[in-house]
Amino acid sequence: MAEVVLENICKTYGNNFHAIDQLNLSVEDGEFLILVGPSGCGKSTALRMIAGLEDITSGSLRIGGVDVVDMPPKDRDIAMVFQSYALYPHMTVSENIAFSMRLAGKSKAERKKRVDEIAKTLQLTPLLDSKPANLSGGQRQRVAMGRAMVREPAAFLMDEPLSNLDAKLRVQMRAEITSLQKQLGVTTIYVTHDQIEAMTMGDRVAVLKGGVLQQVDTPKRLYESPVNAFVAGFIGSPSMNLFEATLTGDELMSGTFAIRLQDAAFVRRPGLRSYDGGKVVFGIRPEDLYDSSLESGRKYQTIPAKVTSIEELGSEQIVHLNIDAIRVDSGDPDAVDDFGLASNAVARFEPISAVHSGSEIRLAVDDAKFHFFDPETHLAI
Amino acid sequence: MTRQKRSHHRLKRAVAPYLYLSPSLLIIGLLMLLPMVTVIGYSFQNSAVLRRDPSFAGLKHYQAIFADPVFWASLWHTLYFTCMSVVFHMTIGMVFALMLNSDRINPTLRNILRVLYILPWLFTAVIIAVIWRLLLEPNGVVSSVLMQMGIIGSKVEWFSSPATALHAVTFANIWAGYPLFMVSLLAGLQGIPKDFYEAADIDGAKAYQKLIFITIPQLMPIIISISLLDFIWTMQVFPLIWITTGGGPIYSTEVLSTYTYKLAFSSYNLSQASASAVVILLISLGLTLFYIRYQKAR
Repeated sequence: MAEVVLENICKTYGNNFHAIDQLNLSVEDGEFLILVGPSGCGKSTALRMIAGLEDITSGSLRIGGVDVVDMPPKDRDIAMVFQSYALYPHMTVSENIAFSMRLAGKSKAERKKRVDEIAKTLQLTPLLDSKPANLSGGQRQRVAMGRAMVREPAAFLMDEPLSNLDAKLRVQMRAEITSLQKQLGVTTIYVTHDQIEAMTMGDRVAVLKGGVLQQVDTPKRLYESPVNAFVAGFIGSPSMNLFEATLTGDELMSGTFAIRLQDAAFVRRPGLRSYDGGKVVFGIRPEDLYDSSLESGRKYQTIPAKVTSIEELGSEQIVHLNIDAIRVDSGDPDAVDDFGLASNAVARFEPISAVHSGSEIRLAVDDAKFHFFDPETHLAI
Repeated sequence: MTRQKRSHHRLKRAVAPYLYLSPSLLIIGLLMLLPMVTVIGYSFQNSAVLRRDPSFAGLKHYQAIFADPVFWASLWHTLYFTCMSVVFHMTIGMVFALMLNSDRINPTLRNILRVLYILPWLFTAVIIAVIWRLLLEPNGVVSSVLMQMGIIGSKVEWFSSPATALHAVTFANIWAGYPLFMVSLLAGLQGIPKDFYEAADIDGAKAYQKLIFITIPQLMPIIISISLLDFIWTMQVFPLIWITTGGGPIYSTEVLSTYTYKLAFSSYNLSQASASAVVILLISLGLTLFYIRYQKAR
C-alpha cells in the first residue's frame, strides 16, 4: 500500500494539445479516489500516466515516496483493471490470474496456491478452468480484479471497469468493488465518466475538465459546495438547473418573476452583495424544486412554469419544465441530455404529483438551497 | 383450396434455396466434378483418351506408378518443397508482419517496406520463374555477389546441379509466396487489442514473452488456416518448377505435378498420368478435410 502523489503533472502531445495541465493530486494510503469528468477531459490519460503507459511531459509522480516518472510500468508496483478487462481469450481464468506470477518465474505450486486464495475471495473457484469467452460480464470483471489482486500491488488503477456492464450488474459490481477495496485497503484510483459511480464509490472525487483539475473533495461536499458551475452541473443526476438573473437588493429577477432571497443567503456568501444591481448565475438542484399544490411545496415561493414532459420513475417523477429564465450552460457536454428541446429546467417531484405534460403550474423553489456563481468566471460565490 | 395453396407455398419455400444455388452448383459440377470423375475413370482404363473403347485396367496403373522410383522421388521432392515452403513462408511472413506492425519503425520507412515486401505477390509464376532463372544462372547476379563476398569459390549452376536444384526452386517459391502470410498475419496483428500488451507491460512481460504468450496464441487461428491452405496450394505448384528446371536435372526437382504432366504429355500415358493425378487429389483431399474440420471446430 502506498500514497500516490502527482505534482504539476502535464501531458502535451505533438500537436501542442494539452491533455493534462498542471495536475496536482495526492491520494492517501488506502484511499479510494475517483477521477471523473466528461469525455475527453483527460482522466484516462492521467491514469495511464500513473500506470506508465503514457509518458509524462513534465511534473513529478511519486508512488510510495518513490519518484516513478522514468520507471517502466512493471516497476511501479501498480496493477491496472482495463475498461475491456484485457483478459487473454486463449488462457483459462486460472492462467489469466496467474499470468504475472508466471512471468515472474514463480513455481506452479506457488501460483496455484495464490490463484486459489484469490478465486475464493472473488467466488471464482468453479470457473478457474473456463475461458473468458464462456463467462458473463460480471464474472469477467471479477477475473480482471483477480489478475490485479494477484500482484499485491501498492495501488490499483481502474479505467472505467464497469462501463461494459448492464445497468443492474453495474450496481452490484459497484458495491462489490467498494467492499473489496475496503477489505484489501489498497490505494485505488478509479476513472469513470459516470458521476453516480463517482458519488457512491469513492472516499474522495477529483473532477477534471479539459485536462484541468476542478475540485477534489468528498462526494457530499462536491454535491453541496461545488466550486464552480461546471462541477455543479456535472455532479448530480439530473444536473443542477443553472440560470442567469439580476440581483436587485435581496431580490433575484429573471424574466417575469422575482425571488426574494433570505438574509441567510447573504450571510453564507458575503461576496453576493457585491453583485447587487448586476448579473449573477444561480443554480438549483431538481430535488429543491417542488409542486406547489402539494404539502411539500406550500412553504416556498413560487414561480410560473410550463410542464413540457414527464418521466415516471415510480418512486419519483422527473418533470421537464420551461421557466422564464435564461439557462446557463455549465460546460458539461453530458448535461445537455437532461433537457428536451422545449424545456430549460428539470424538477424531481413526488410520485403523487398530478402535473401533466402541457400544464401551466406554479413551481415552488427552496431558495435556501440556491447556489450562486459569477456570470463571467462561473466560480462559486 | 387453402390447403392446396399452403402446400404450394411450402414447396416453393423448400425449392427456393436450391434454385439460388443452382448456377454455382452447375459451374462447379461442369468445371470441377465432371473432370475429376472423368480422370478417376481414366485411371482405371487402358489407353484412356487415346482409344475409343478403352478396356478396364483395374489397379494396374496405380501398381505401375507405385513401382516407379521416380514417383517416390517426386513424392519426396513434393513433400520437401511443400514443407520447406510453408515453414519459411510462415517464418518470413511473421517476421515482416511484426516489423511492419512495429511502432519503432519510422512510418515513412514502414510504408516503403510494405510496398517492397509485397512485391513478389504482384508477379505471376512465369515472371517469378524467369526472374530467378536470370538471377541464379551461373553468370547471374547471385553467383557474382556471393563470389565477391567470398561465400562461394566458383560459379554455381543453381538450377542445373542435382545437388542444388531442389533447394533453388524451393527458395524461389519461398520468395514468391511469403506475402500471403505477411498480409494475413499483419491483419491479425492489427486486430490484437492494444490492452493485451499494456496489461502484459504492467505485469512485467519482456518482448519475447509478449510474442510467445500473446501474439502467437492470438494469431494461431490465422497461422493454422493459412498454413493448411498454403500446404494444399504448394503441393500442386507446377509452372514455377516447369519453367525453371522442368523437373530436372535427372529428376532432382521432379514433383508430383511435373511427374504427372510428363506422363500425360511426354509419354502420352494418360491412364498412368490419371492415376498419378488421383494420388495428388487424395493427398490434397486429406489436407482439405483436415482444414474443413479445423474450421468447423473453430
